[in-house]
Amino acid sequence: MDKTGNEATIGINTKFLEFIRGFGLPRFIIAGFLLILFIMAPFVGADFATQITNTINRFSWNAVMVLAMVPMVHSGCGLNFGLPLGIISGLLGATLSIEFGFTGATSFVMAAAIATPFALLLGGGYGWLLNKIKGGEMMIATYVGFSSVSLMCMMWLLLPYRSPTMVWGMAGKGLRTTISLEGFYDKVLANFLRINIGNLSIPVGSLLFFATLAFLMWSFLHTKTGTAMTAVGSNPVFARASGINVDKMRALSVLMSTWLSAIGILVYEQGFGFIQLYMGPFFMALPAVSAILIGGASVNKASIANVVIGTFLFQGLVTMTPTVMNSMIHMDMSEVIRVVVSNGMILYALTRKTEAKT
Amino acid sequence: MKSKRVALFRAASILSLLVIAGVMMVIGRGHTVYLDNKSMDYNGQTYAALYKIVAFVDGEQVASLSGRERGMATCIGQGLGVALEVTREKDGEEQSFTVTLPLPYSMDGIIINLPAYLAGLPAEAYLSEFIPAPEPSEDEDSETDVLPGDEILPDEELLGDI
Amino acid sequence: MKSKKNPFLELIQNNSVPIMFIIICAVCIPISGFSPGYLLNEIITRMGRNTFLILSLLIPIMAGMGLNFGMTLGAMAGQIALILVADWQIWGIPGIILAMIISIPISLLLGLFCGKMLNMAKGREMITSYIISYFINGLYQLVVLYMMGPIIPIIHTSIKLPRGYGIRNTVSLLNMRQHLDNLLAIRIGGAKIPVLTFLVIAMLCLFIILFRKTKLGQDMRAVGQDMDVARNAGIKVERTRIVSIIMSTVFAGLGMIIYLQNMGNIATYSSHSQIGMFCIAALLVGGASVERASIGNVFLGVTLFHLMFIVAPSTGAKITGDSMIGEYFRVFVSYGIITVALVMYEAKKRMAKSKAGKMLEDAQGKGEGN
Repeated sequence: MDKTGNEATIGINTKFLEFIRGFGLPRFIIAGFLLILFIMAPFVGADFATQITNTINRFSWNAVMVLAMVPMVHSGCGLNFGLPLGIISGLLGATLSIEFGFTGATSFVMAAAIATPFALLLGGGYGWLLNKIKGGEMMIATYVGFSSVSLMCMMWLLLPYRSPTMVWGMAGKGLRTTISLEGFYDKVLANFLRINIGNLSIPVGSLLFFATLAFLMWSFLHTKTGTAMTAVGSNPVFARASGINVDKMRALSVLMSTWLSAIGILVYEQGFGFIQLYMGPFFMALPAVSAILIGGASVNKASIANVVIGTFLFQGLVTMTPTVMNSMIHMDMSEVIRVVVSNGMILYALTRKTEAKT
Repeated sequence: MKSKRVALFRAASILSLLVIAGVMMVIGRGHTVYLDNKSMDYNGQTYAALYKIVAFVDGEQVASLSGRERGMATCIGQGLGVALEVTREKDGEEQSFTVTLPLPYSMDGIIINLPAYLAGLPAEAYLSEFIPAPEPSEDEDSETDVLPGDEILPDEELLGDI
Repeated sequence: MKSKKNPFLELIQNNSVPIMFIIICAVCIPISGFSPGYLLNEIITRMGRNTFLILSLLIPIMAGMGLNFGMTLGAMAGQIALILVADWQIWGIPGIILAMIISIPISLLLGLFCGKMLNMAKGREMITSYIISYFINGLYQLVVLYMMGPIIPIIHTSIKLPRGYGIRNTVSLLNMRQHLDNLLAIRIGGAKIPVLTFLVIAMLCLFIILFRKTKLGQDMRAVGQDMDVARNAGIKVERTRIVSIIMSTVFAGLGMIIYLQNMGNIATYSSHSQIGMFCIAALLVGGASVERASIGNVFLGVTLFHLMFIVAPSTGAKITGDSMIGEYFRVFVSYGIITVALVMYEAKKRMAKSKAGKMLEDAQGKGEGN
């Protein structure tokens, strides 16, 4: 009797450990921490519905940018630390759309339309570069992002923008650091079909937009090209042997990622209500990268589910910690917690032995 | 044998660093010394301010004090060597003293009442701690207003002198 | 086998980055309108300020671990030490020495952590060390913003935030400002030469030169060349790599203290984060690459990079009428130069790999032919 009991507990223990191992300890801790935050929230007087609303709101802002990670991870290019490059295409689209005088919902469509050629151009060059330096993608992606952001800092000042809503009032030239989107595409997706129940408010339009893109991504990954891309990522030698053009697949994935991040920043802006220029896009890559990692992705594996779970967990953490922590210990440590958690997660993913590089 | 020597060497270097650190803590303690030329009462007796006191530290004049004035000097270590030129009364004779004022380790700012010191009173009479007036609580909010759009804007971090 | 190249052309090719910078500076200096005396003075000041920090990058490069973006860790250790010393009111040279001694154990711990992590991420050391610097920055904020006050006693209100815990955005080091530079300083025609600082830098240079000849230094180079070969030769690869990172972190901590005593105040939450990037950029400007860097590169780099740094804003202002352009320009150049260096390094590595693969293929083909 005893023996079997012991064995059973051991069995449960090992199963539990295996589950944790498969799930990843940091992920487990973060999920647990968030759960505790949710349970604590009502006790410290935070309104539950408001919290959920905030989390879902922020989820809807960020999800597309996290989705942009997926194609490059699939093709073996690693985590796209070069997200700012795509963001810049999005910003060009956004500012040009306003400059050309589009307003309301049209300005969003036009921003996306104008951003697309920029994204294709920059993404094409970026993909070509990454094919030259296989194996060192992540570091170079980081610095490509940084140098393009700092190059654009000069451009925002120098490009001949004239729209009075965007340029500095005094000088009459040079774009402002933050541009309000009121009258343009502020909340244009979020207010579409928005559901309001008491304090709870759900931006259905934004979520639908993300769902559509996610579904497209999912179906793409199940097409012939999509499976070929996955094959390139999981085993490039085998992929080449079976006649797949590895470089082409990788370039395509980079292109997709860049375009998605361009669209992602537009979605972010419509939710947030402002365009942030200059150093704004600088650190946008890190939250997106850590979000997908928290969702269960690794340096060479990622799924749509990872995106959804990860973004929800990460944004939940970001919105919940300030309110709960503040009312509990009267210290706003959320900033520090976010920095430690997001970078700790990336660090964890980078140092896992199982992911020996090819 | 070798490992023992390595361990010994390590212990010795750690010890010597600790000793140096200790020495630095003693000889590097900085004080701000305020030299007062003010009247003061001690044990019922009044020590009046002097007509003029000129103080030199390291040959440099740090203060020239008429009655009821205060001068300031900074000092590293536990003793301040000052050369004083004292004129007790108007048109009086000028006297020179060279003294070393012992400074207590625990005080940042120290007030020395010179008339009391020159009268040869004990330390507790002429020496007192300078307590800076509490700053008007300017509500310098440490949390810079980060917009809900998160992410630290590193503008100041990157633009600036190095 | 080796085709004879024009030696002059080869010289240009091998030093393309420094030459490019010389051209940039040559164009910018006349436009900026600074006098040569002013520029010389500035360069000397900045050389004394930054060289020690940049030298700390050399050892990990020797061990094949690439550019140590984790030098920020040492900078944080240095800052923590300086904050403590400023609170204890230890002034002048003793204060600087005390801060250096305090920074060493903190740097040791952080370096150990960084080294262990990098051993778990062989082949992607740079991105990992880069993320480590952000991760530790979070912990640094935790310590400085929340633990200093309630847990680590901080007495002086000039350092503490008004709310009672945490450190202010700037901590003044007025009482040790340039004490190291001014001791033994020589003035030659308006330019101040901080002899003692240069002596300290020279000592580190000497140390690095001598260190290369020791057993540990040789081991590091072996590890840098080929980890497997080194392991077969009986070298403890992991340990050697950790030691190299620890040394780099400790030197970076000392360098940060030298840097900050010259500046005269600490920007508590930003001094360290920019320093890694600018130091690496300066080293690369001097003609170093990811796998090879010498002391000469450091000095050339510090001169050229800071010359660009000084003249860029006013040149930009003169040309476009906006001083921000120049500021952004130098940030762009710093990032651009690192990007280019990284691309060149990876491309070269890949070329060597494919060449090796081809040679192997050829050899196999020959074997089959026979």
